[in-house]
Amino acid sequence: MSSFGFHLAFWLLAAMTVGGASMIIVSRNLIHAVIYLVISMLGVAGLYLTLSADFIAVVQVLIYVGAISVLMLFAIMLTPRAERNNTETSLKLPAAAVMVLILTATVFVALDTDWGAVRQAALADQARLIGQSLIREYVLPFEIGAVLLTAALVGAIALARHDDEDAAIHAQSLQAEADGTAEDVALLTDPPLVEVEADAGAGEDGGS
Amino acid sequence: MPDLVLGQFAGVDMPDWVDALLRIMFIVALMTVNAFALIYLERKILARFQARVGPTRTGPIGTLQSIADALKLVTKEDVRPSTADRWAFELAPYIAFVPVFLIFVPMPFTETWFIRDLNLGLLYVFGVLGLNIVGVIMAGWGSDNKYALLGGVRAAAQAISYEIPMLLIVVSVVMVAAGRLATDGDVSAAVSINGIVADQTTTPYILLQPLGFVIFLIGALAELHRPPFDMPIAESEVVGGYFVEYSGMRWGMFFLAEYTALFLIVLLASSIFLGGWNWPFGADVGLGLQIVLTLVKTSVMIVLVISSRALFPRLRIDQLMSFSWKVLLPFAIVQVLANGIIMAYGGPDWVVGLVSFALLLALFGLVFALTRTRKGGDTTRTIQTTPARPRVITSPEVTAVEAGGGD
Repeated sequence: MSSFGFHLAFWLLAAMTVGGASMIIVSRNLIHAVIYLVISMLGVAGLYLTLSADFIAVVQVLIYVGAISVLMLFAIMLTPRAERNNTETSLKLPAAAVMVLILTATVFVALDTDWGAVRQAALADQARLIGQSLIREYVLPFEIGAVLLTAALVGAIALARHDDEDAAIHAQSLQAEADGTAEDVALLTDPPLVEVEADAGAGEDGGS
Repeated sequence: MPDLVLGQFAGVDMPDWVDALLRIMFIVALMTVNAFALIYLERKILARFQARVGPTRTGPIGTLQSIADALKLVTKEDVRPSTADRWAFELAPYIAFVPVFLIFVPMPFTETWFIRDLNLGLLYVFGVLGLNIVGVIMAGWGSDNKYALLGGVRAAAQAISYEIPMLLIVVSVVMVAAGRLATDGDVSAAVSINGIVADQTTTPYILLQPLGFVIFLIGALAELHRPPFDMPIAESEVVGGYFVEYSGMRWGMFFLAEYTALFLIVLLASSIFLGGWNWPFGADVGLGLQIVLTLVKTSVMIVLVISSRALFPRLRIDQLMSFSWKVLLPFAIVQVLANGIIMAYGGPDWVVGLVSFALLLALFGLVFALTRTRKGGDTTRTIQTTPARPRVITSPEVTAVEAGGGD
């Protein structure tokens, strides 16, 4: 594991990861930032491969690159009034403080780890070993993770569904339309579009 | 059997990087030939369905038509809209294409013919396939075109939704493989595609997981943007989808990616469900027959997928999403649970197959029942459209036009 190709791969992947991460900060366009994030995550997956952690590498690509980054792109594109630029924010100082903490922890762990294990032969059959330790030794963290994810799922559904509010806003708009207080306002909804237009047309005809 | 070493043919030792380069060249060659063949096949099959004869003029019975198409694409001008996001637009075809190219790696053509037998082959295929979506979104967003953006978002939403039932079905297949290999082999081969194929010498997994096969096939149609799931590239709705603004070879790369993905996903399905290079029900066959078996199984399924384009009308986008989340996903979860329960109590293989078949019948019954009520008297039922919240838009022009029309 100390051949020229291995070293070349490590440095290329490291450059990809760090370069992608720096471009996220520099890039002014949020969509570009997510694309750089994808590049950075792919670099991390490659680094896992050089450490012979192939299961984690594949999962990194499957979840972070294939799902989470796509979710971020969706969130940016589908939020109508979201700021598309990577602009100034008032959370600069707290973010810097959190990053310093994380960096300190990472450096501490990196210095504390016995990297001699890296030079040992790769563990065969990693998926099974990870599965067994998740179900046996670390079953409590595993279950806590599962509960957390379920809670997030329920929360997402609760946030996405607010029929009452929708109905109230809709009724209010219709009422405004009927009162004639919303003359220069066109309602854009899918199903009642015809209805609303017909009402508005009738109102105008009556007026003229 | 060890990995195939290409140098054995030439009788020379070659360094690793030459070996790797030769393998990549093999992939490129196979991919090109495959795309040419599939384009011709698709034209001919669709023509037959529509009582035409398809291409006949270029070459004997039109066989050179794909080459003519490719020449046209290569010589065409490469246009980029002036408002497009330059980097996203120009990189998108490659990001959509390279992942599909990478899926070739763990695909077994015979017992010993593959680029590399990856230990986590099945997981790898789905991981790499997910990358494709990023390219599609980049194309849709970078083109600065409404239709392209809509197509890109549709493609991504569809791919994410149908990936989940497909992955669950892959989990259930891996469970069956692990259960069988635990008795007579090495469990670690259960996630390797070649390991799964090697386990199907007597029983193809379609008999053990018929529901899995059907859900996988539906998911594959959706992943490949094939009718009835071709909303992302529906000409009548979003013009051409995420590649409207592309021309020349960049457009060609999207199509190369589509046809390569068609071949590879179908090859994957025929490997994990139909037994790949195995002769069904026993009989050890030689290397030559193995490749024929793989290709015959794949070809039959390719013809099925292509003919679906002539046979089925397009779904609506909300029907597509609710079919994945409300029908396929629950059935896939029940399949995984059922497999787990049966295998935990040591049930034999035929029970697994029988339960899966019962679930498949339930799926068909449910779909039949749903379509019956839709057809019956209840025609006034409206589908809840997604943007239920009214948005207030001040648009004096629109009201002026309407007032004028009213007068």
